[in-house]
Amino acid sequence: MRKHQLVKNHAAGSAARRFGLGMISPTMLVLLVMTAYPLLFTLFYSFTDYNLLRNLQKPASFIALGNYTKLLNDAYFRQAILNTVKFTLLAVIFEMLIGFCMALLVNSLTRGQKVMRTLLLLPYLLPTVTVALSWRMMLSPNYGIVNQVMEALSLPVFNWFSDMRTAFGMLLLIDVWQSAPFVFLLLYAALQSVPHAQYEAARIDGANSVKILFYVTIPNIKNSLALCALLRTIDSFRLFDKVNLLTGGGPANTTSTITQYLYNYGIKSLDFGFGSAGAIVMTVLVLLLSSLYIKRAMG
Amino acid sequence: MKKLFAFLLALVMVLSLAACGGKSGQTGDTSGSTPAQGDSGSSGGSAAPTKLTLILRAGTYADVIKECLPAFEAENNVTCEVQELSESDLYSGIALDAINSAGTYDLCMVDGSWMAEFTDSGVLANLSDLGYELDDDVIPATTTICYVDGQLYLAPYYGNVTVLMFNKANVEAAGYSADQIQSLDDLLAICESAQAAGKKGFIYRGDNQNNLVVDFLPILLSFGGWVIDENNKPTVNTEEFKAAMNYYLKLIATGEAQVKDDLIASVDTGAGTMGIGWPGWYTPTADSTADYIALSGAASAGAKAYNSNVYGIWTIGVPNNSQNKELAVKLLSYLMDADVQKSTVPSGGVPCRYSSLQDADVLATYPQYEVVCKALESGMYRPVIAEWTQFYTTLGTEMDNIVNGVKTVDQGLADAQANLEQLMG
Repeated sequence: MRKHQLVKNHAAGSAARRFGLGMISPTMLVLLVMTAYPLLFTLFYSFTDYNLLRNLQKPASFIALGNYTKLLNDAYFRQAILNTVKFTLLAVIFEMLIGFCMALLVNSLTRGQKVMRTLLLLPYLLPTVTVALSWRMMLSPNYGIVNQVMEALSLPVFNWFSDMRTAFGMLLLIDVWQSAPFVFLLLYAALQSVPHAQYEAARIDGANSVKILFYVTIPNIKNSLALCALLRTIDSFRLFDKVNLLTGGGPANTTSTITQYLYNYGIKSLDFGFGSAGAIVMTVLVLLLSSLYIKRAMG
Repeated sequence: MKKLFAFLLALVMVLSLAACGGKSGQTGDTSGSTPAQGDSGSSGGSAAPTKLTLILRAGTYADVIKECLPAFEAENNVTCEVQELSESDLYSGIALDAINSAGTYDLCMVDGSWMAEFTDSGVLANLSDLGYELDDDVIPATTTICYVDGQLYLAPYYGNVTVLMFNKANVEAAGYSADQIQSLDDLLAICESAQAAGKKGFIYRGDNQNNLVVDFLPILLSFGGWVIDENNKPTVNTEEFKAAMNYYLKLIATGEAQVKDDLIASVDTGAGTMGIGWPGWYTPTADSTADYIALSGAASAGAKAYNSNVYGIWTIGVPNNSQNKELAVKLLSYLMDADVQKSTVPSGGVPCRYSSLQDADVLATYPQYEVVCKALESGMYRPVIAEWTQFYTTLGTEMDNIVNGVKTVDQGLADAQANLEQLMG
């Protein structure tokens, strides 16, 4: 009887496992085709001298770590890594601070929250190309409104995207302007879920606004803060479109990011072997940066 | 219940896959019949029109082709789909399609500097084999890169060649007229005078490596230098190159780097005085504020005058994997027809043909075509080497360092030479 029950339980367990596998198999299939295959493909090509056009006539050669050696020995690639890390750190810090302040402000409003929320989100809803071209027009040394206002105020004017002193800062400003609303949106949603009772209890205990912020608000939304920081870190690290449209990595490589470097030296010339090696290095760097959060999220 | 759910899920997946498969099968059938339709495109009055896909450089270059298409479409029972792309997207678009056995494009616009790479890799169809040849009316110098081993692969369509674009008032204020600009020294004198008057002198494009290099090449040629020798060895660390670079640093110090649209606006409004431009950018008229001339090619008064006009000619060709080669060649012949090309002039077309550029009616309305014709007769193509994209990226990066003061001329050019030697093997 007991044996029969065990067999029955075992069969039920197997069926449940099969059903479970059946349920996750479509997702696994999509993941394998859309993520694992391109990654393995990229890894494979990073060990070859594959050029899309030149290898139409003859197959690519295996060059082991040749692309990686060339990359890491290139001073411009190292500069691109430094620029990217610097940009990522500054962008994430400013976006988190500004986005958090915006969220606190809108959350504290008793009227007009919906209007403010919509208005503040607008920069994030715009396509990056539109954002880049709008800023290029505003900062144009010829007819840009920024230089005209500065001239009217007798302030020094700049050729913003061609001047080594201002190009990096301008890219940072534009990215912060566009992406801070994303942080705002996530943190605003998190703030809405903080229990009001905790605020009331803190006030009854005599806590001031700063203490409430640090002892009630932030602890309640710390997971959202960490998620926001992770998403912005990954996104900032991949910065390409704004750089490519506005500065092309110049002047004198001061705004060259890893992606822009890969575009200039790998993709544009169709040297996909070299480009793949750069993409793998970049993936490893992003994984390292995000590993802390992933480790924490995995428990 | 679970089994039923799993069964339904599997059924949905199978049906979805079957639906996708059915569609691709249909496409295969259509493409299979396309060449036959294309070949009989002109005769089949009631047959469905054949579709030709053109991949072109966006801007005036594509606009003048598009305005010629309706007549060809009506006459040959075809419909033309045009993709207009930026220079880099056009290059990668053609290259990425070249790896397919059945290509998407039937006619492509090609920059002269891509020729070596494209013909080495078999991207372009041999036009001679397809029965097309250029006629004598086409300016001979513009056809030099179109042939490989006597076989024609491309036809020069849009006669872009570097010109010196300048603001008339600023030049006159400096005490010069257009015909008095005889050497690079005159350019510098005018720009310094404009700078002293509170305006910007020379405007150059510094937004990417290609533009940096291309704007500098006419100056380099005027000093008797070039970027490679006859054996395709880099020659960027030579006395001529250094002299040209030192001169260029003085010249650009009178102005600033701007993007193309700003450059045109600067010179047009007089905020800037001059810059290297292309005929496709600006159409001067008798009462326009700006005009352009061909550079004389002399560095200073009395110095030897070199050919210093650099071609940016947009050629047209047929991809080797086109599914409608015969019809595509017919379209190419139509677009290269002398009368059709002349009809594009009012819209900004710049044919590489004497019959258009020396036509009395054309010159009466567009006198600048005399300058363009002269420049096209003596222009220089950028090096026809398969590594040109990497070459200008490397050289432009070092030039960017030099013009921004990060490296000295000697250091920057020595680094460029070393990197380019490594590239060229």
